[in-house]
Amino acid sequence: MRLVAQTSQSWQYHLDQSEADILLGMLKQFPFNEMEPAQISRKGQDAQAAERQKLLAELLAEHRQELRKLGLGLLAADKWEQRENGCRLTLDAGARETLLQVLNDIRVGCWHALGEPELEDYRPTAKKELWQYNLMEVAGYFEANLLEPEE
Amino acid sequence: MGRTFAGGTFMPPIAEPMTNPQPVIEQDTRSADELAPTYYVICWNDPVNLMAYVTHVFMKLFGWDRQKARKHMLEVHKKGKSVLARESAEKAEFYVHELQKYKLHATMEAVE
Repeated sequence: MRLVAQTSQSWQYHLDQSEADILLGMLKQFPFNEMEPAQISRKGQDAQAAERQKLLAELLAEHRQELRKLGLGLLAADKWEQRENGCRLTLDAGARETLLQVLNDIRVGCWHALGEPELEDYRPTAKKELWQYNLMEVAGYFEANLLEPEE
Repeated sequence: MGRTFAGGTFMPPIAEPMTNPQPVIEQDTRSADELAPTYYVICWNDPVNLMAYVTHVFMKLFGWDRQKARKHMLEVHKKGKSVLARESAEKAEFYVHELQKYKLHATMEAVE
């Protein structure tokens, strides 16, 4: 995956066919994992903090539903153009932001499913761990390529 | 002095003195404690969010330039956390919601 054209309003990426197939599959199946619990405060334990915690959980659940819908919107035919050696994916700013959020949701969700390990020396052993680990790495690969022109 | 035209000097009529109405200032009934920025918005380090992604989110959410966003990202990465803002409860809660939508580990903590 690489950026091939950019204007102030749109980004066009080239993906090899295998990359396109994997990304499309990820978008179709998102979300892969249950939502991980979120925490609004590390210190606040009073009634107000509990209320805020509840509101946060509701809001994040709604956001994920919305993200799923928006993620499916990325499958629209007008965003994908078949080429001889792969695909061209054209995204406006909103669609690019959606794709980043979907990919990061997958990445963080997999990490949580793995037990939130330090990743530097982490090596998956069980089959299920391998699946989560590889999915996490693939999501990170696409994220990094989406953001690369910014760095 | 008036403006000079071909036919001589034109003196504009003198306007009647006007009295501007005094603005009505509404009293904010909230206490000083409620108005004060009493919460820190903190982003905590984790090993999973990519550095470029964290920088991107800070720029997007706070409207910071790349240099400032990167400075805070590196602070998170190296020191374990970064205080992103000091805000009222309402605004701090909003920022935490938005940061967590992006899957960053952010919390609001009362200023002690």
